[in-house]
Amino acid sequence: MKHLKLTTGILAIVFIALTITSCKENKKDQDKDDDHVTEMKHDDKKMTHDNSDGHHDDDNADETTDVRDIKMNTQKSSSTTLIVDAYIQIKNSLVADNKEDAAKGATALLAAFSTFDMTTLKGKAHTDYMEIYESAKEQAEHIVKSPIDHQREHFETLSTDINDLVTLLGTEKTLYQDYCPMKKVSWLSETKDIKNPYYGSKMLTCGSVKKQIN
Amino acid sequence: MKKVKIILLVLLVALVGIQFFPTTRNQSKTMPKTDFTLVNDAPNSIKKKLQTSCYDCHSNNTAYPWYNKIQPVAWILESHIADGKKELNFNEWETYSNRRKKSKLKSIISQVKDDEMPLTSYTLIHGDAKFTEKEKKELFQWLTKLRDSI
Repeated sequence: MKHLKLTTGILAIVFIALTITSCKENKKDQDKDDDHVTEMKHDDKKMTHDNSDGHHDDDNADETTDVRDIKMNTQKSSSTTLIVDAYIQIKNSLVADNKEDAAKGATALLAAFSTFDMTTLKGKAHTDYMEIYESAKEQAEHIVKSPIDHQREHFETLSTDINDLVTLLGTEKTLYQDYCPMKKVSWLSETKDIKNPYYGSKMLTCGSVKKQIN
Repeated sequence: MKKVKIILLVLLVALVGIQFFPTTRNQSKTMPKTDFTLVNDAPNSIKKKLQTSCYDCHSNNTAYPWYNKIQPVAWILESHIADGKKELNFNEWETYSNRRKKSKLKSIISQVKDDEMPLTSYTLIHGDAKFTEKEKKELFQWLTKLRDSI
């Protein structure tokens, strides 16, 4: 009997100690993942890129890069498709008051960003992209783990980020920029009908289309 | 009785044992130039309130309580501080992009408004960390103005 109690006691303590240390390790792993995501991915999905001028990699070529970006907008760009799809998934989940699906959409968004090929972005476009990416990533991480009212708050900022991303890089999709007068914030939608993600079923049709993209 | 004694003894040994686990301490003597209150020239009342209510977990300098070196308290503090600084570090404000600043200002307002920050576990011990309605109003006015100026 004595031994039994003693063993149980020791086991309990070992268990507690392990739980605490393993929590720490988990965190470290997460950090590693973060590092991994910020690494640039060099895959062969590069967009049509004109190398013939021979000096486009020059750091001083910001101006020419900007011109190129505007061209990219007018061309229908497919580079943002996965990102926009994941964003729309979050939006529709919030419209349907579905916290779990919104979290899944946010996970998909993080995955979409991690496969995005930013090697074609130079100068200011690259800086702008990085800022948008960092913010969107943070919002998505919160949407993954938060209750629905919190998800909606982060979705406000995320909507600004994705809207700016589409302005910067273009999209092949037809999107509508909608405005919620109650919250004084916008969101992007793939349908012309208003389905407000900020209140879900409570105020589904509140809002108006401000702009059509493509 | 004997069993009770043994259990108590084991617990005591364990308690002593975990004291030897090292923790990282969050302390810094100087306030960096990139600090939120310095860069934005915060009014004194707001500066003081933020330092009392937020800086223990959201800056590079924690005013540790006397029991801070006792485990498992030190572990709990360490993890809260790491999480807090990852979300928002007031000392590094000026290194944030404008996009991030705006998003952080928005989050600060909404968290304090809903009493989600400071954490209840923190205000239980630090009663003076709580925001009164008047303090909230003053803070939000200033933060909103700041947000609109970015």
